[in-house]
Amino acid sequence: TAGIRIFRFGPCQVSLSMTEIRAGFNAIKANIQARDPIRTLSILSYPHSLHKVQSSDRCCITHQLFDFYVEKVFKHCQTEDSSINRKISSIANSFLSVKRNLGQCREQNKCTCGQESSEKLKQILENYEGLNVTSAAIKSLGELDILLDWME
Amino acid sequence: SGELSCSLPNPRNVHFESVNMKNVLHWSAPAGTGDGVLYKVKYSVYGVGKWIRKPECKNINRTWCDLSSETSDYEEQYYASVKAFLHGMCSDWVETTRFNPLTDTKIDPPMVSVSSTEKSISIILTAPGKWKKSPEEESISLLQVYPGLQYNVSVLNKKTKKRWFFSISNSTLVVPWLEPGTTYCVSARIRVTTPLLYSRFSKEYCIATLKDK
Amino acid sequence: EDAVLPAPQNISILSTNMKHFLTWSPVIIQGETVRYSVEFQGEYEREYANESWIPTCECSLITATVCNITEDISATVAYNLRVRTVVGARRSEWGTLKGFFNRITTSLTPPLTKVIADGYHLLVELEDMGPAFQFCVLYWKKGQEDRMQQKVVKEVGSVVHLDTMEAGPDYCVKAQTYVEAINRSSNFSQTQCVRAQGGTSMWL
Repeated sequence: TAGIRIFRFGPCQVSLSMTEIRAGFNAIKANIQARDPIRTLSILSYPHSLHKVQSSDRCCITHQLFDFYVEKVFKHCQTEDSSINRKISSIANSFLSVKRNLGQCREQNKCTCGQESSEKLKQILENYEGLNVTSAAIKSLGELDILLDWME
Repeated sequence: SGELSCSLPNPRNVHFESVNMKNVLHWSAPAGTGDGVLYKVKYSVYGVGKWIRKPECKNINRTWCDLSSETSDYEEQYYASVKAFLHGMCSDWVETTRFNPLTDTKIDPPMVSVSSTEKSISIILTAPGKWKKSPEEESISLLQVYPGLQYNVSVLNKKTKKRWFFSISNSTLVVPWLEPGTTYCVSARIRVTTPLLYSRFSKEYCIATLKDK
Repeated sequence: EDAVLPAPQNISILSTNMKHFLTWSPVIIQGETVRYSVEFQGEYEREYANESWIPTCECSLITATVCNITEDISATVAYNLRVRTVVGARRSEWGTLKGFFNRITTSLTPPLTKVIADGYHLLVELEDMGPAFQFCVLYWKKGQEDRMQQKVVKEVGSVVHLDTMEAGPDYCVKAQTYVEAINRSSNFSQTQCVRAQGGTSMWL
């Protein structure tokens, strides 16, 4: 059944219906990943896995990644398949409400950003801009489970 | 390099079958090829630049290859690929979809041990261990891999045919105040909330409460 | 003429227990089969995707005047909804729901609850209301309302064990639904009290 998770990043607490997002992603995973032929590059994991990130920066990186997906990724993932587009819309709207919650944490200084998070985001943006925008967006969407696994 | 002509039909249905993170690549022989087909296997870590050959699965005639060792880091994701050879011809490399050990594995039911007294039964559940290279290697319980792991336990009274369900997070359950001299059958399954994973229910373990003294 | 095809009117939402339906008044055109198409727009589409609209999952060219939009309203944000009339190749203007719809406003009803005493064991059976639902079950010894115990139940359609009972006092139970996705609960169900079954049938 639905699995909301209360994610605690130090003083910042965000509730997120992880099961709904995962169910939405699982429904499009094979389709989206099949559109990404590039095996040799990962947007989120290159050169270092998210798992190497220091815990003190987790909140900031999480917020930056939700920002990244909402601002840059989802809008370039339109497909010819309306059911896929609907699932993407569902994930995008879920990400939007989490992004907002995390944004409030940052405004209240509960989500501090250190050097590591800015370096990690810089690397992710470099990986992203190294591809044409549609390929980069589709690859990023196909890596959503990397983000979700890391968050959990 | 004397490359072969790759007009042989491709291996089919190339996919990972994973149970408790024992990750085995499976495929079906190319259509219409009969006996004598040999295969080569390679794999790659997603996002890392190179394909790596699996020596133990070079020129094999079976249609599976155990890649558990190569894919044991469940913080990574993987691809694997198979190529077929027959009479000097070869097929193309055929790849799996992207394999995520954490979400794409199946989980075995828990081990169930039951004991009884006159009026109660005690149930101890053990989650299966993650696949490991060798018996000497330290065991990692799936409980450590999936912190949100829970057990659903079913207790059936064989006399009245009534079945009760329990949902517990720890691994022991005592059901008191039962009827003496009665058989109860217990089975259990594992449930992980996210990623959403269920095991099958275990087989039933039946035990009788002791007779009234 | 094409432009006269009237847009649907009286567009409204019915949302109960996380099932959401859009309804509207029928458009009557003599001698014609009138169909309708429904689209939705989430907050993301308004703010980041040029206010784009998305066709719903189940309601393109339907003849009914009700559309199940549950699959489409799958995030806890404000949605816009619109419907138009279609006759052959002719299309009306869009009729748009007044105001946004956010699933957080769905009305939640108490769960159907069956309390069972089986020997010294207190059990409960809860209706299956869909994957979005969990249940918070409260139980207590009658007269000791200050010592209520709580159990979160996710399994439905089966007899779930709550606790063991002492012989003698009544034990009372009530349950409410809890929807994690919107972080809201229903009212409690009617309280039901049972007693450990003494004598021969006191066992499971």
